Amino acid sequence: MSPEEIQGIFFAECDESLQAAEAGLAACQAGTHDGETINAIFRAVHSIKGGAGAFGFEALQAFTHTFETLLSDVRDGSVPITAKLVDLLLRALDTLSDHVVAARDGGEAPADTALLAELTAAQARNAGAAAPAEAPAAKQAAPVPAPEPVAADDPFDLDSLLDSLGEELAAPAEVEAEAEWKIHVRPHAEAMGNGSEPVLLLRELARLGGRCVAVDCSHVPALDLLDAAQGYLGWTFALPAAVSEAEAQEVFDFIGDDCALAFGAGQPIPEPRIAVVAPPVVAEAAPVVSETAAPRAPAAESPAAAPAPPAAGQSIRIDLAKLDKLIDSVGELVIAQAMLAQRLTNENVTGIDEMGLLETLTRDIQECAMSIRAQPIGSVFSRVPRILRELATTTGKHTRLEVSGESTELDKTVIEKLGEPLTHLIRNAVDHGIESAEERLAAGKPAEGTVSLSAEHRSGRIHIRIADDGKGIDQARVLAKAIEKGIVSPDAQLSREEIDHLIFAPGFSTAQAVSNISGRGVGMDVVRQAVKDLGGRITIESEQGKGTAFILTLPLTLAISEGMIINIGDQALVVPLANVVESLRPDASEVKGLGHGQSMLNVRGKFIPVVPLHDFFGAGDAPDGAREGVLIVVETEAAGKAALLVDGISDQRQFVIKSLETHYRSMEGVAGATILGDGRVALILDVDSLVAGAAACARAPLRDAA
Amino acid sequence: MTKMTRILTVDDSASMRALLNHALSTSGFDVAQADDGQSALEWLQLNEVDVVITDINMPRLDGFGLIEALRGGTRHRDRPILVLTTESSDEKKNRARQMGATGWIVKPFDAAKLVAAVRRVAH
Repeated sequence: MSPEEIQGIFFAECDESLQAAEAGLAACQAGTHDGETINAIFRAVHSIKGGAGAFGFEALQAFTHTFETLLSDVRDGSVPITAKLVDLLLRALDTLSDHVVAARDGGEAPADTALLAELTAAQARNAGAAAPAEAPAAKQAAPVPAPEPVAADDPFDLDSLLDSLGEELAAPAEVEAEAEWKIHVRPHAEAMGNGSEPVLLLRELARLGGRCVAVDCSHVPALDLLDAAQGYLGWTFALPAAVSEAEAQEVFDFIGDDCALAFGAGQPIPEPRIAVVAPPVVAEAAPVVSETAAPRAPAAESPAAAPAPPAAGQSIRIDLAKLDKLIDSVGELVIAQAMLAQRLTNENVTGIDEMGLLETLTRDIQECAMSIRAQPIGSVFSRVPRILRELATTTGKHTRLEVSGESTELDKTVIEKLGEPLTHLIRNAVDHGIESAEERLAAGKPAEGTVSLSAEHRSGRIHIRIADDGKGIDQARVLAKAIEKGIVSPDAQLSREEIDHLIFAPGFSTAQAVSNISGRGVGMDVVRQAVKDLGGRITIESEQGKGTAFILTLPLTLAISEGMIINIGDQALVVPLANVVESLRPDASEVKGLGHGQSMLNVRGKFIPVVPLHDFFGAGDAPDGAREGVLIVVETEAAGKAALLVDGISDQRQFVIKSLETHYRSMEGVAGATILGDGRVALILDVDSLVAGAAACARAPLRDAA
Repeated sequence: MTKMTRILTVDDSASMRALLNHALSTSGFDVAQADDGQSALEWLQLNEVDVVITDINMPRLDGFGLIEALRGGTRHRDRPILVLTTESSDEKKNRARQMGATGWIVKPFDAAKLVAAVRRVAH
């Protein structure tokens, strides 16, 4: 694994940690202050800090260090959890998130000096109150905007040791005259506990060039009194002058006071610290010592071990490319299975049990592969609190967030592309939907607005609802604006629903003044386009004075979809089922001509244009006057309903979407291609652009005539 | 020393595991990995190891919990255990020692630092 790959894992982890911290802080804000919640936040920040140090992201490490120090105090209970503190922690988390992005993209680290000071102040205040003696130390340790926060103040750090070693080499003041110096070592009983082995330390001294010049075995008792767990022996080593005292001491870093050391030729070997001397006690002491040595740790440790943390989900990480390959292969499998079925049918071989089994297995594998790619939508939702916080500062409108269904899963690709439209809708909801606190109070609403986000699976698609309890869409103003902008003609008769949808028209913006939040040139049309690109649609439910809800209906995956297979001439085409409303074979009376070969279909009293697909695909003549063919009523985002005229419908089933752009080039009216059971390639219709294009064609000559 | 020194690393962070694995296996150690104290314990029931390197703060069972379990048992009681710590203060080191750690590795570490720490406690 290359360092870049390891770094990639680190950033993926950072995202998880940031989400975990966000979730924890949200819980805190909602009043959950238990140990596990706080610890989860601490752990998230701590984990980012660890990696940041390992990968040398100094600014990130410095920031997490200060953040973590404060969290540590919060966890210990020495800093009380107040609304103000949670707010500070949330802001720190936002900056941390920016730090991570800066580290990942190599950008400039965010300005954090003021925030660091605030974080430090939050903990220094505590240090002053709880332990005055420690206050100066805490103050010194904490404000560390400088790059190397951890190493700098640490006397035992290897790097600083090496530095001091260099100095000592340059000025060998402590070196003995005879170019050798002595170290006296006396390991106590504890130096043999905790898995330590004094022999290894002596060996390490020897590796440094040391010679053992004396052993003190005067304290070794008679064999029957010998306790193997006691430190009876002492050694004197002669070390070359090139080895510094600090370097030798470093060897004993781990066991610390459990091994007595003395330096210099004139010093004796330190006295042993043998636990029991009196013979009768020793016999009993031996077992006692070995037993008490072990329980010592448990006794001190029990509080930390008490809460059993919830089990973490068992998971593995997979390279995304491998997963995509799997999905591709599964797609091919689906096609191959369909081809086999078709072939057998052609050969009049039917009723084979294995075929049914194969079909079931194929579907299982496909669902399973899709579920691997599926991720909970919570990863998108978790960005929202931050957006709301930022909006609260810029607009002064405070909003409460309600989230439900965050564990609803959908395809990773869809999730990735959902972030932007969702962000825009949230900004829009706060900026245009939610009123100012005064207006809200005047309208009898709570001062704080509410934005609710929900997601649920419904008939193979996902419904995402972004709702606010603001003032709703002002239809009169929307209509006036649309007329002013020339989007609709002044005498147009529009339903309430159609007026609401005008806000999606390109170039439409009702903001009184262009704000820097949602009115920055890109409007709701961009949101609609993004949703459409995902194969989804967006609808509005709005009630004046009560609020507005945007409902996004999206496919669970972009790789496989359900479609209707239709024929025109000798071609087979696929109409995505998402667009299809109904199909019918009309009576002659229901289709009215409209000059220029145009015609309209009367669907229960409402006229919709008929789009003969033959014209688009050069598939010969259309069936006579739509009566011999079949009309498929489709619904589009851009151009309302239309009826596609085709020769016939041959099947309805799942199909694997192949991009036309990667294999050929992008084409107007075509969303992609798929391979049918008989091996033929069928184009997948982009119903939206097809119908919009047809409408434009139909209008042009009419306008010329007028 | 004919047998390779076998090390179990315990860390809930995948990037830290990858770093440890990279540094140790390129230095000639046999590396096994667990992602928290609990799975380390399960692994140790079935396997032998020369050194355990563990993170402290982990879900399910933290590093000190793992050490307590190992020191409290019989089979791995005398196993050298190194803890990964970002704190290098004497206070933290004393605490690690009291908790039963054999030694520590201060994060961030480089391969040389890591190997030196392992060599100090392993046969």
